[in-house]
Amino acid sequence: MAELKYAFYTGCSAKGVAPELYDSTMLVAEKLGMELIELEAATCCGAGAVQEKDEFLALTINARNLALAEELGLDMLTICNTCTVMLRESKFKLDNDPELRKAVNEVLKEAGLEYKGTIEVTHFLWEVIDGVGLDRLREMVVRPLKEFKIASFYGCHIIRPPYLIGYEDPDNPKSMEMVIEACGGTPVEHEARLACCGFHSFWSAEDEVTLRLTAKDTEAAKEQQADFMVTPCPLCHTQLDAMQPEAEERIGVNIGMPVLHLPQMIGLALGIEPKKLGLHKHIIPTTDIIKKLAA
Amino acid sequence: MEKFNLRVFRYDPTRDEEPTYKIYTLPVEKGMTILAALFKVKEEQDPSLSFRYNCRAAICGSCAVRINGHAKLACKEQVTKLLEQFETDTLTVEPAGNIKVLKDLIFDMDWVIEKMKKVKPWFIPKEPPPADGTEYRQSPEEHARIDYASDCILCASCMSDCNALSVNEEFLGPLVLSKAYRFAADSRDGAKRERLEAVLDKFNLEWCVRCWECTTRCPKEVQPYENIIRLRIMAAEEGYKTPGEIHAEVFEKDILNRGLLNEMLLPFKQEGLVGGLKRAPFGIRMFFKGKVNIADFFGGHTIPRIEEVQTIYEKVEEKKKDINIRIPQILGLVYEDKRKSKKKESSQNGGEQ
Repeated sequence: MAELKYAFYTGCSAKGVAPELYDSTMLVAEKLGMELIELEAATCCGAGAVQEKDEFLALTINARNLALAEELGLDMLTICNTCTVMLRESKFKLDNDPELRKAVNEVLKEAGLEYKGTIEVTHFLWEVIDGVGLDRLREMVVRPLKEFKIASFYGCHIIRPPYLIGYEDPDNPKSMEMVIEACGGTPVEHEARLACCGFHSFWSAEDEVTLRLTAKDTEAAKEQQADFMVTPCPLCHTQLDAMQPEAEERIGVNIGMPVLHLPQMIGLALGIEPKKLGLHKHIIPTTDIIKKLAA
Repeated sequence: MEKFNLRVFRYDPTRDEEPTYKIYTLPVEKGMTILAALFKVKEEQDPSLSFRYNCRAAICGSCAVRINGHAKLACKEQVTKLLEQFETDTLTVEPAGNIKVLKDLIFDMDWVIEKMKKVKPWFIPKEPPPADGTEYRQSPEEHARIDYASDCILCASCMSDCNALSVNEEFLGPLVLSKAYRFAADSRDGAKRERLEAVLDKFNLEWCVRCWECTTRCPKEVQPYENIIRLRIMAAEEGYKTPGEIHAEVFEKDILNRGLLNEMLLPFKQEGLVGGLKRAPFGIRMFFKGKVNIADFFGGHTIPRIEEVQTIYEKVEEKKKDINIRIPQILGLVYEDKRKSKKKESSQNGGEQ
């Protein structure tokens, strides 16, 4: 089997408001035999914010991030959808425009760096499927999530746009359901599976757009009687979990839908204690899930 | 598969209280498009079915519908490919989403046109035409900025699947914003600020949630999402202080000063002290769940090698005036992940590396 060693790009959220994502990723990766070498010198990817003010700066900053992984000679593993798409967008532009790449490298040279284009940007979800493999994951499951109805929430930037992501069919993706099934859970069909959480318009359209989407998404999972939602993106998580009370209040509904990070769900199936995975750090209580697991 | 089911949305507001779905069974024919299937239904099974079409060649933009939940041109999609893609024997055809239905698959295009009028989607010349009687000129580089954006066929596929529009019909939507970009970015146009002000009314331009659904749906490579971002860059360059512009500045400064975003101080930097304090209930909730890193309120951690970032900022500032980032061609492009193809090759050669 190929060595599962990656340059680990944490992103800001796992180091900020989603510490439970960082902790659960490290625990689960270790169990699955993935070696994560953390890129401690990496910066924020710009998150789409810098990109809409200064495209060249955002591109150069990410060329540096990619160059850090190239120094290690390892593919870069992300745990955030937006980091994934922003890093892949930068890579796409650098790899397809030699003049631009030359200009970026002239800047990087001043900082003692060079972008060579030798590594790929991948996501934890994809590596669980392609690196570890679902058969191996299935073998390692000690606490199948058989009593759980689980609503996947992909998050936009792991399926769209196909010219930057291209991992699977954006009309009919399957990766999340495949992992849920491998963990012994039952995926539920719901209307918001491929929808947007609203995170990226929070500061400009909190009431007009963001919280309305948050309410709509979590209600869709509730309608199908899901025990919880699961997402591969910490931004979706913050929006759907931490902001769910705001959405309930503004829209005037009662939802109470727990949302798990993907590695937390895998961790539960691997028999890791809920507390170690940080399930107590969620805003929407996960007590029902923990009770069911203990029963 | 010899036969398949076409499950079609039916609604006549003059007669029906609620929409219904009717299932028509049809033979699977090689090369048959969804539009051809709709014709077959109309000719052989149900003449009352209404749908819009014209060119049958993905040029006129009349036949946008939703197929299994996603906006597509009925004339461009082949039945056999869709059945394979969705691994099904039933294809559901509905009118475009987010727009009022007039009858069956026909939606209210006037609503889109009315929205479009707000950004004056026509050429407003900067200066009189050349005195020698020739036409307005622009360089190939200038034209490249608007080349793809000019290809919009007004099919409204992007409007159909827009997440922001799905919860607020006041949003101008990707088609309209992309059209605004097409003219605002035209080197011959003289109404850039007027157009920017139209899209910045109530910061409408920034209601876009960056879901990238519009670019994914567009059948003509118009890149509506990317055009929205280009419009935002233009607004920043023109000096408009929008929430998005302030947000971008916070990110820029945090990357320069510490590497990662300081999420704890973001609300204060974004909305000021009073605005930030309004978020107190949220902050307290986060604190008690162990999601708040107190050290970050006092600056917190700075990444190693931050001096590299600072050098980059200085050099980028010097260089960026000479940079022209060209707009890439994206239609039908699936970004090749070399890691995955490497993996495929190795598995074909026995799987071991």
